[in-house]
Amino acid sequence: MSDTVSISCSVNGEPVAAEVPTSTTLADFIREACGLTGTKIACGHAVCGACTVHLDGVPVASCSAYAFEADGSEIRTVEGLEDADGELDPVQAAFADLSAFQCGYCTSGMIMLTRALLDRDPNPSGETIRKWLNSNICRCTGYELIVEAVARAAEAANAGPMR
Amino acid sequence: MNESARLEVVGRPARRKDARDKVRGKAGYTTDISLPGMLHAKALRSAIAHARLVGIDASAARGLPGVHAVLTRDGIGEDIAPTYGYFIKDQPIVALDKVRYEGDIVAAVAAETEAIADAALRLIEVEYEELPPAASIEDALSDGAAELFEEAPMGIVPAYGAGASAELRPRPNVCYRFNYETGSPDVFETCDHVFEDTFHFSRMQHFHLEPFAAVAQWLDGDRIEVSTSCQNPFALRKELGRVFKLPENNISVRVPFVGGGYGSKNNCKAEPIAILLARMTGRPVRFALTHDENFLTNTQHAAILKLKTGVMNDGTLVARDSEIFLDSGAYSDASPLVAEKAGYRIPGPYRYRHIRTSCDCVMTNTAPAGPFRGFGGTQTSWACESQMDMIADRLGMDPLEFRLKNLIDLGEPFVPGESGMDSDLREGLELVAREIGYRKRKKNPVPNRGVGLALGFKDGGGVNKPAQARIKVSTFGDIFLHCGTVEIGQGAHSALSAVVAEILGAPAGRVRYMPIDTDHTPYDQGTNASSAISVMGQAVERAARSLRAQVLDFAADRLGAEPQDLDLEDWHIRKGNEALPLAPMIMGYFGGTGWEFAADGFHKAETDHSAPLETQCVFWELGWGAADIEVDPDTGLITVHKLVVSGDAGQAINPLVCRGQDEGAAVMGLGQALFEEMVYDGTQLMNGNALAYRVPMAQDLPAEFVSITQEQGHGPGPFGAKGMGEGGMLPVAPAIANALFDATGVRVAALPLSPPRVKAALEKGF
Repeated sequence: MSDTVSISCSVNGEPVAAEVPTSTTLADFIREACGLTGTKIACGHAVCGACTVHLDGVPVASCSAYAFEADGSEIRTVEGLEDADGELDPVQAAFADLSAFQCGYCTSGMIMLTRALLDRDPNPSGETIRKWLNSNICRCTGYELIVEAVARAAEAANAGPMR
Repeated sequence: MNESARLEVVGRPARRKDARDKVRGKAGYTTDISLPGMLHAKALRSAIAHARLVGIDASAARGLPGVHAVLTRDGIGEDIAPTYGYFIKDQPIVALDKVRYEGDIVAAVAAETEAIADAALRLIEVEYEELPPAASIEDALSDGAAELFEEAPMGIVPAYGAGASAELRPRPNVCYRFNYETGSPDVFETCDHVFEDTFHFSRMQHFHLEPFAAVAQWLDGDRIEVSTSCQNPFALRKELGRVFKLPENNISVRVPFVGGGYGSKNNCKAEPIAILLARMTGRPVRFALTHDENFLTNTQHAAILKLKTGVMNDGTLVARDSEIFLDSGAYSDASPLVAEKAGYRIPGPYRYRHIRTSCDCVMTNTAPAGPFRGFGGTQTSWACESQMDMIADRLGMDPLEFRLKNLIDLGEPFVPGESGMDSDLREGLELVAREIGYRKRKKNPVPNRGVGLALGFKDGGGVNKPAQARIKVSTFGDIFLHCGTVEIGQGAHSALSAVVAEILGAPAGRVRYMPIDTDHTPYDQGTNASSAISVMGQAVERAARSLRAQVLDFAADRLGAEPQDLDLEDWHIRKGNEALPLAPMIMGYFGGTGWEFAADGFHKAETDHSAPLETQCVFWELGWGAADIEVDPDTGLITVHKLVVSGDAGQAINPLVCRGQDEGAAVMGLGQALFEEMVYDGTQLMNGNALAYRVPMAQDLPAEFVSITQEQGHGPGPFGAKGMGEGGMLPVAPAIANALFDATGVRVAALPLSPPRVKAALEKGF
């Protein structure tokens, strides 16, 4: 039995190759091997979604996925949203403008979840927004400002060129 | 002068200072820290609730490759005070003679990785001699109950003022009792009615997403450097100094962003084990708990509250006698302080001629309870506001009119010797009543649908809290703000920076809130009790005003003008129509290398023996709430159609942030009201993880959710501001219970108002 596995994938557009223990979670791989600590580990049971990243465009709870599952895939984390000039993604800008965060520990996951929603449905209804947000937990805000930020991000993205 | 008329920074919904970092994943938390050579710690927890520790064999764990140290009671020598706590030093770093709850820490391992540390834990053999447990308040107080502590641990009772007192261990399994009395109990005899009711309050977990975590290292063998997810770095430093027998200037406590706490992250949590393992290994040690372990570390207090209230036929309140029992769990933690606050707050913001309360901290073999948003006020608001509606109903009065008749007036002391009420309580109550359509409603327009009101109340700002702030401004007007208020999500760094910017006439972006390190940061008692803007805010305001005066004096000297004829604007001196840059003036006097202006500000409420808690309350925190609910009689499921909450910010420094605080608090209260609860089967926690423990999700938002930030302007903080963030939680559960009564005529006096409990009550019919 081999204790390690080699992975090659892309992280935020950059190729990454690494040899990691088979038991390494995707979240640990992202945080430790890639040094991208914007992805947070909170509940550890794929309940709260603080660790949400995109795996080939699909939002996943990285705390409960293995790193080897990402072999050959494209990983996108919160660090990969802004453009090269540091211009924020409309989702990030809306969360910042509406103070749709407090302690910030759920924020990366909420933003990645929202990005995935808007990638699929650029004009989500209020009900769709709530339904999607239901997969992540925020203990600070009471969700209302997050719901508004998602709607604001959709509006901003649809209003025309952002950059 | 009406200062708020010309506010430039304060009062605007600007982006928070931490917004950009937090939305980019760049904000640094304790859990993100990685040091060269850093080891990882894990703890072995008892699976038995109450047992004598006979022996521990850790030799196999020590022999596991990658393990650097195993800490057990055998590793704790004379050079360490092995227990910690707030008032009572009863919690051991690792179990010494006994374990007292399922989850009590028996040993800890430092290893190359968390996985190796976890593997090592499984190799530790522990021999226990089981003891009978006390699972609940009733158990622990019953005759012949097992005692958690056979002897009283070392503890103190702080000085109290008029009418208040406390005692350590008044009876077995009670670690602390707080008492308060004012007026004569004889007035009970004059009452037309005396009503006695008992209320039960369930226990929640804070559910902060960042776990308890600390990264510690020893430098030069006798200096500790610890970064931690903590709300009160200075109190922590003092306690670490006592435990490790070190001078406080050998201990540096650093606090990065904190990923939520809601009260739990006060005092020692992960730190002592991280520090001790760092000493044993000579390496930096990171000890981050899992989220599951948070449930075993700190919780809210379950409570039983017995209220006896005397009232006249016309609805005038006369007297209240209360007995409160808090489930403190296995160690005292902040229980004595919570007891003090619960005991003090139980009358609610109403006028009485006599008040007597006692509040007992009952030790049980369950997870330790500690500070939780509301700090005893959630428990007391639940009981007090439920009974207010019950009494109104018995007197045939409207609950709103009954409250309006008895509320304390603006400026009226809460009790003799106290500060005056700094919110107009009636104004707030009328506001939420209007928003829910209270006066216009028809009784039971729809069967099983009803409306309820409640007013949550707590003394805010903490007792005897000193705070200091320091501001420096460089030659070119770059502002450094040094103060110890932790950024735990509440937006305090932005709010305090906004106060400085406002007073110094600078854009908010020029203020940098400096990293917190107890070696350099001025003293602060702690980030708790919604105190930042009212307590630290006053210190910051004074520092900023003092610095502004220095700069204007300096400029007046240089310009041969009077300071009162000058103004400060974006680091220019405004003199009539002229705007003179300060930098050349500073370098002209101090030399080309420049200078820094610096000023300190300080705040402490005066010690006052006539005030029951030895200082008058700094401000009063209110939460007005109203709920429109419907209950399904077949299932007992409550649907909240509309929830209204309102707090009084005095003056909102940032309205969006105030709104977020009230809404976040209200949704936490909604969870408490409807479903959220730590479920124990005896001493065993049945739902101690995120899969089994349900917190509010986006789906739980009421169809209509209205939060109104009042700005009544009476706060003691800068520009009339006062603290908020806890108040929104307090009225939600009683407002919903009162609405349930309005809907059905059935009173449920226990939380949560879960479908089985509500259905059972509806079937019983009272």
